[in-house]
Amino acid sequence: MTAIAPTVSGAFETGRSDSVIRRLLRRPAAAISAAVVAILLIATLAAPLVAPYSPTDLDYTHLFAPPSWSHPFGTDELGRDLVTRILYGGRTSIVMGVAATALAMLLGVTWGFTAALRQGWTDEMLMRLADMLMAMPVILIALVLVAAFGSSTPSMIIILGLLFSPATARIARSSLLGELRTDYYLSAVSVGATGRRILARELLPNTLPVLIARATIVLAEVIFVEASLSFVGLGVQPPSTSWGTLLQQGYANLYSSYWYPIFPGLVILVAVLALNTLGDNLQQVLDPSRT
Amino acid sequence: MFKYVIRRVITSVALLILGSMLVFLLMRIIPGDPTITKLGGSIKDVDAQTVESIRSELGLDKSIPQQYLDWVSGILRGDFGASYFSQFSVTSLIEQRYGATLLLAFMAMVIGTLIAVPASVAGAIWQNRILGGVLSGFAAVGIAIPTFVIGIMLIIALGAELGLLPTQGYVSFRRDPFGSIESTLLPALTLGIGVAAATMRILRPSLVDVEHAPFVRTAKGKGLVRRQVVVRHELPNASIPAITAAGIIMAHLVGGAVIVEYVFARPGLGSLLVDSVYQRDYGVLQTLVLLAVAVFIVTSLVADIVLGFVDPRLRTQAVT
Amino acid sequence: MTTIAPKKALTDVVLDVRDLEVEIAIPHRPVIRPVRGVSFTVSAGQRVGIVGESGSGKSLTALALMRLLPPRARIAGGIAVLGDRDLTRIAEGKMAAMRGGRISIVYQDPMSSLNPIMTIGRQITEAITTHEPVGGRAARAQAIDVLADVGLPQPHRRIDDHPHQFSGGMRQRVMIAMAICTNPDVLIADEPTTALDVTTQARIMEMLAHIVEERRMGVLLITHDLGLASSFCDDVNVMYAGRIVESGPSRDVLRTPSHPYSAALLESICRLDSDVDKPIAAIAGQPPLPHQLPSGCPFHPRCRHARDMCAAEAPVRTTSTGREVECHFPLEQLPPR
Repeated sequence: MTAIAPTVSGAFETGRSDSVIRRLLRRPAAAISAAVVAILLIATLAAPLVAPYSPTDLDYTHLFAPPSWSHPFGTDELGRDLVTRILYGGRTSIVMGVAATALAMLLGVTWGFTAALRQGWTDEMLMRLADMLMAMPVILIALVLVAAFGSSTPSMIIILGLLFSPATARIARSSLLGELRTDYYLSAVSVGATGRRILARELLPNTLPVLIARATIVLAEVIFVEASLSFVGLGVQPPSTSWGTLLQQGYANLYSSYWYPIFPGLVILVAVLALNTLGDNLQQVLDPSRT
Repeated sequence: MFKYVIRRVITSVALLILGSMLVFLLMRIIPGDPTITKLGGSIKDVDAQTVESIRSELGLDKSIPQQYLDWVSGILRGDFGASYFSQFSVTSLIEQRYGATLLLAFMAMVIGTLIAVPASVAGAIWQNRILGGVLSGFAAVGIAIPTFVIGIMLIIALGAELGLLPTQGYVSFRRDPFGSIESTLLPALTLGIGVAAATMRILRPSLVDVEHAPFVRTAKGKGLVRRQVVVRHELPNASIPAITAAGIIMAHLVGGAVIVEYVFARPGLGSLLVDSVYQRDYGVLQTLVLLAVAVFIVTSLVADIVLGFVDPRLRTQAVT
Repeated sequence: MTTIAPKKALTDVVLDVRDLEVEIAIPHRPVIRPVRGVSFTVSAGQRVGIVGESGSGKSLTALALMRLLPPRARIAGGIAVLGDRDLTRIAEGKMAAMRGGRISIVYQDPMSSLNPIMTIGRQITEAITTHEPVGGRAARAQAIDVLADVGLPQPHRRIDDHPHQFSGGMRQRVMIAMAICTNPDVLIADEPTTALDVTTQARIMEMLAHIVEERRMGVLLITHDLGLASSFCDDVNVMYAGRIVESGPSRDVLRTPSHPYSAALLESICRLDSDVDKPIAAIAGQPPLPHQLPSGCPFHPRCRHARDMCAAEAPVRTTSTGREVECHFPLEQLPPR
């Protein structure tokens, strides 16, 4: 494992990152999921340009309209177009997801790197804590944290960020430990380079690919949990709209208009599946030994 | 074997004690004053004496270690303390709700196993690419697909349109066993798909690993046919990692149960949990979290003991 | 092309392998042929050795006879007649009945070749009940007997133990018990003692010799150790680059090897009675890879006696003094050393 990791990340670092991308896109599953992720990102972030209607367009003549050419996903209880609402709702889900992922990465990397660099007793304690938190069902911890911090947007970002930091810490720790065992680190030490300098110049950049793959998967999980929380009414609060709140409102009208919850549900499924697949493939391409 | 079991039991009890301390501390650390919850959300119009009496009623005037000891000794007597929100004790709330969750979890486990094991075995016996692709696809989608999406789809497909199965509520098992199982079928199927995917994700790669083990070559050399090799030699060995991961699968089950109970409006522990978060009812919340911790620890214990029966190497290691 | 020595034709041949070929086809790569026309026979009670370096195709030959080749490999030609059946052609269902019943195999690695979570008793009785119409209790009694035969102490007590409770040598005895419990016509032993220490190795081979003698079983010993093969076997076949380059009675091959490769193999054995100061001769170079075979005689790049002709033309098999050899210039024709 340690023998392969440095060569792969070395290739990444020396500007041949295009070969990583090329290798990634040669896998059909990865190429498809990358395309799906790109489309979702562009479509939601550029919602005002892409969306066929305005999210505040009310149409009282078309309440709960089933899917049609003018409204492919149908309309809601106020006659709003569901394609439009999903695109705008996606902005909340994705922006919140990216912010929470960034927080999870920041916390997790600090956590994991501290453990890896300090080693010994500190390492042991930090990793036991991470293992314990990882063993608990995610939804359960999320609910406890919601009880503690409430469900405002900043709280949600903090909660989701906290939630996925332990697993990130594990991965960050093992990837840094892998780097610390490599020959070039040992040789850099032997020629008298100082620890901090090596850390900043060599080790951190080399762990980056693994962390990017991890971030992709965290984003998938964050979107999943945000949707779950919003679905049970403990996540994003109306009038803000996310994929989860759309799902919840749709679920309330499930028996009369089945399309209302189905399309937000499918979009969440597609987003999570695509991000997961992309992350898994990225991990396999970057570090074939850890498949 | 006996020594092995004893050792695992002691470890589990220690973990449980540690877990209860952590849960208790966590509940003290998080912001929010339970007195306010008890008073219905506002402390403004209430005089200090009432607040004080509620605090002593809930035992909040004692020191934290004392509160913890009271809580634990109550639990040992079957008394989980008072709900901060409702008039019922936590014990009676849980008594009303646990049946729905237990049946759901049990049936989901059965359905999940009935899907995952035969599918994985079939994949190992008939090693063709199409079947393998279908099974991998199922596992990948089954892991990623949110429980609520499966639930909603099943309600639409089987419940709402065709009216084949009940989609809402729960009939008590004691009152009407058949109706109870019927009312649990759709939720259990919803949850079971996730359980099946999580199980397959562990079982299938380990079946592939075992396939290359020398002892499988030995079994083939004896003249066993493919099916016998898979069922007698590959599956028992490949199930070892899956049993080890029973905790992970259980976590999946517990997390999923919360959502499934919401989707199917089941009055179970999961919906009690959601309610307690809504109401900031820390009395109920800390009990339910402790229960989840206990379930996880007991699952791991049972898995370890089962593993001891399956894998003779563990038994002798523990004795010597 | 194949000639069967008169001595063998008269005996009771149980396994007759002729021109056996094994191909490996990996997509987008040229097809390789690691076994290229191998012929030999095994008679009842006869011990035949196949000796060669790793990569010579000897293990693939064994797996081909068991029809347990790895997924990409297949038998591309030749026949292997066991009794009255051609193992290369019969249906998989019939082959399963032969495996472990009429032809058995003992593998190299006794540590991992036994199922770790099944008692050795169940693993042996499984082999018995697969091939014989006996009940569980009778099979168990039979298993205890066969365990006693292979020299496992206290078999009635140890039959319910698991593999990890045995030493390597004992596990290999269990493996042998499992292979012979159905009294097969042919027992293939693929490097049976390589993983064991020298003393254990000697004891196991002694036990094996005793058992096959008693049961008049034909044995095919696959090994890289010419010394072991010639001390155990009646006949040896020396294999190089997928072909048998020399075969004959083991005593003769050992004393006066005809093929330069056999001679080199012999010299590479460190012998106790040899002159200590003389350096141990290893064969220079590597055995050729199946996808880049040299022209002519495949051994010529490493052969000390190679001449121009060796690189140009593949040698034809010749028979002399009860020995078959594939060499343009067999060593007997050279002045004795």
